[in-house]
Amino acid sequence: MNAIILSAVLGVVMMFSSVLVSNQKAYKGIALVGLLIILIANINETYNGPIFEINTYNMLAFDGFSLFFNTIAIVCTGVYFILTSKQIEKVGGHTAEYFTLIFFVLCGATILSAYNNLLMLFIGIEILTIPLYILTGSKKKDLKSNEAALKYFLMGSFSTGLMLMGIALIYGGTGTFALEKIIPAAASAQGAPAVTAQTLSFLEVGGMLLVTFSLAFKVSAAPFHFWLPDVYYGAPSVFTSFMASVVKAAAFVAFLKLFIARAAGTSVDVSKIIGVDWKMIVAILIICTLLVGNISAVRQQNVKRMLAYSSIAQAGFMLFAIFSLNEMAKEGILLYAVAYSLATIGIFAILSRMKDYTFAGYNGLAKSNPALAFANTVFLLSLAGIPLTAGFFAKYYMLASVMQTGHYMWLVIVGVLFAAVSADYYFRVIQSMYFKNSESENEGQLEENPSNIFKITVVALAIVIILVGVFPNSVLYWLYN
Amino acid sequence: MSATEIIFWILSVLALVSGLMVIFSKNPVYSVLWLISLFFAISGHYILMNAQFLAIVNIIVYAGAIMVLFLFVIMLMNLSATAEPKKKVWMKFTGVISGGLLLWILLSVVRSSIDMRGKIAEVKTGDIGLVENLGKVLFTEYAVPFEICSVLFLSAMVGAVVIGKKEE
Amino acid sequence: MTLLTIDWSLIIEKLVLIAVVVLGSLVVALYSTYAERKVAAFMQDRLGPNRAGPFGLLQPLADGAKFFFKEDVIPVLANKWLFILGPTIAMSAALMTSAVVPWGNHIEIGGRIISLQIADINIGVLYVFGVVGMGVYGIMIGGWASNNKFSLLAALRGASQVISYELPMGICMITLIMLSGSLSLKDKVEQQMSSGHLWNIVYQPLGFVIFLICAFAECNRTPFDLAEAENELNMGYHQEYSSMKLGFYLFAEYINMLISSAVIVTLFFGGYDIPFLDESKLNPNTAAILGIIALMAKVVFFIFLFMWVRWTIPRFRYDQLMNLGWKKLLPLALINMLVTAAVILWLHK
Repeated sequence: MNAIILSAVLGVVMMFSSVLVSNQKAYKGIALVGLLIILIANINETYNGPIFEINTYNMLAFDGFSLFFNTIAIVCTGVYFILTSKQIEKVGGHTAEYFTLIFFVLCGATILSAYNNLLMLFIGIEILTIPLYILTGSKKKDLKSNEAALKYFLMGSFSTGLMLMGIALIYGGTGTFALEKIIPAAASAQGAPAVTAQTLSFLEVGGMLLVTFSLAFKVSAAPFHFWLPDVYYGAPSVFTSFMASVVKAAAFVAFLKLFIARAAGTSVDVSKIIGVDWKMIVAILIICTLLVGNISAVRQQNVKRMLAYSSIAQAGFMLFAIFSLNEMAKEGILLYAVAYSLATIGIFAILSRMKDYTFAGYNGLAKSNPALAFANTVFLLSLAGIPLTAGFFAKYYMLASVMQTGHYMWLVIVGVLFAAVSADYYFRVIQSMYFKNSESENEGQLEENPSNIFKITVVALAIVIILVGVFPNSVLYWLYN
Repeated sequence: MSATEIIFWILSVLALVSGLMVIFSKNPVYSVLWLISLFFAISGHYILMNAQFLAIVNIIVYAGAIMVLFLFVIMLMNLSATAEPKKKVWMKFTGVISGGLLLWILLSVVRSSIDMRGKIAEVKTGDIGLVENLGKVLFTEYAVPFEICSVLFLSAMVGAVVIGKKEE
Repeated sequence: MTLLTIDWSLIIEKLVLIAVVVLGSLVVALYSTYAERKVAAFMQDRLGPNRAGPFGLLQPLADGAKFFFKEDVIPVLANKWLFILGPTIAMSAALMTSAVVPWGNHIEIGGRIISLQIADINIGVLYVFGVVGMGVYGIMIGGWASNNKFSLLAALRGASQVISYELPMGICMITLIMLSGSLSLKDKVEQQMSSGHLWNIVYQPLGFVIFLICAFAECNRTPFDLAEAENELNMGYHQEYSSMKLGFYLFAEYINMLISSAVIVTLFFGGYDIPFLDESKLNPNTAAILGIIALMAKVVFFIFLFMWVRWTIPRFRYDQLMNLGWKKLLPLALINMLVTAAVILWLHK
């Protein structure tokens, strides 16, 4: 609750600071101090309970999982601010407003981690995405940015419409928005026997399907991914970075919470009675997503576009959590959120300073800027899931959670195969940096020489990723304390 | 058949026809006007369910404000049937296929349901849609979502300013 | 099969009431045109119409007849159906508002109590809003269907004006709802009539001023008649219209004036309340008739005010109009609402 309230308040503070504070550099400071306050408040809530006692009528539930995810999201946003606030200032004339919108997105993410009610799911998703539509279109003179914003807005609204329709059907079928009760009331009432086809109302199944489609759209699972490449490519790189990291992780947490709550009430057998095999639907989504993401990413010539497709591929891996729906999946998604978000923020921080976004643009970076090239290599290795980086354990937990459910070995094998494919395009960037020479020797690959502080932070981030990769339990330790 | 049922069927037919005409009209202005008629039909349904407040708010907000803005934009753009770009055949084809798949799934879900057979809409029951009850629920049980919605609106407003304001 | 079980006398009663109200508003609107010309003449030191009948009293009838006998032209490139739909919507939206206005207290005929309000719905205030919102479509559709750029521009101006001024108007209404605790117009009148309560104008002077200004804007009357600015837009959104379709648009404006006056009187001036008189001591039928007369007297005053202002204040420019609406009236209305809410809360404590 602290994080929700404070991030909304911080958004308002940033909004007013655009009027009261004229110094562009000061916004970063205000935003960072604000994030620190939110972080402290959230950690305090983890141990001592919330500052504000608010009766939410069980619409929001703050358990260890959601609070820990909040911490991750806040820390990632902090890292994002430190690394890229300079680029945010360059986007346009509304720096303070961009910070405001990012704080609102954070508010949406914290709602999504704690929602316990379909109504809150809807509001959370909306708060998460509406500021993003604007951030996507924030380069007003750039046609690509405009196109991306419009595409994102239209497609996003359509999928939100599907979600609303689904929620309405679920409400019609069960008479409640509450997550734990979206399973038919007949099962628990009067000690009735197990759920059967008769009691599992079609409204509930149809509604659940629509909500699933909509959430699959939000996390860009194929075949609902068509918006993503254009949006990620067209949006200003700084904001793509945020979309691909914290936002995506939050959407996955929402997805996971919904399915875990659902699975707790309805067994696989019941789903089979009425001819809906949820596991199979998710499996199809996973395979489509991995296939589309990886194959398309291999064919890209532009690093930004490649990262967009690779983000689809990563979504495929995160979907494993929704497939297996066990404790390990929960741990895995948190680990994935850390590993994937930090690596993506790091890569984009470097990318947004590049002159040329193609693979050739990276040629010879190792010579001119060895520190950045090293850090970038670590980030890419982490995304590819190479051992000793955080990404390896994230992927390992995902696959292991599927193994735990049993009988689905083939899916694990498919996952491993595609992980191998993904190495191809990540290594091409590394190859460019280390083994190719830049054509224009005199000019660097970067727009301007990065400050030493930036270099140190990026390298520190890379070291953190390696540390998490070596001691993954250091992250999960916090979840259980 | 009671009077209520007759009205129910008339409104349902009106809603469905309007909804279809929104899609099939070549001229976007017609689409908007059909959409308005659809809102009226739905407001009629609200009244049948004894939710006068929702009915009139639906008309004020959607038919009275949002659709006027829609009409505004469409009229200023002066779109007409001839200005619409020709879509490729294969694009239409894929559209039909994906839309058809969704329809298929929903239909099969409806078909497999047993509990909904022989049931029709309930009318003239419940008083949750009356303004007094709605207000009470909104400010007690649903106070938290209600308050959080303000963040949503605020972000939309900030966004409108960011997008709309001239860059110096 | 019993098809419909309906209280037929109720239906007949309501139908008669509707007929009376509609015809009544038509007659009032008809003579408003006459009054407008007389008032204008008075302000400009002229005589005004004085040829048809004594004091020119038959002039409106002659005007009406002229409208009917003019050739009805639909431009070739106009959109025929929408061209007809425009004035229809304008007219019916104008007439529909009268359904929730309490024209008087109830009368008793043979033991049957007949309320002099067509429908006392529990969302009366909002209903007025909804219907006023619909009136915009009459202007917009008519302007667009004419296929004339001046008409279109005028229609868009009119629509944006109505939408902008609906907001402060709505906020003023919220303030009134907070005072009476009910959305029904009849309840509002009764609350103002009850002992110990004064007319709402006493509690809400600022709200009244804002409401009045917005009412002027909603009726497209001077100083807010930008949609008909003849020196900029030829004649406005009804430029291509002729014969009775034009008549409908002009008529709708006068009916709107009547209804706005009636709503203002109902909300702020006690409706059919006669000041310093306890109606409950009278025979209900006498009280009802006296009430209607009181209401009409107040309404006539406001219609006169509409005409008075027309010859006093020049037209706004478009940007001035928007500035007034969004930057002055809206914040004022909001402050008014907050202060009222705070005072109500304080008094109830």
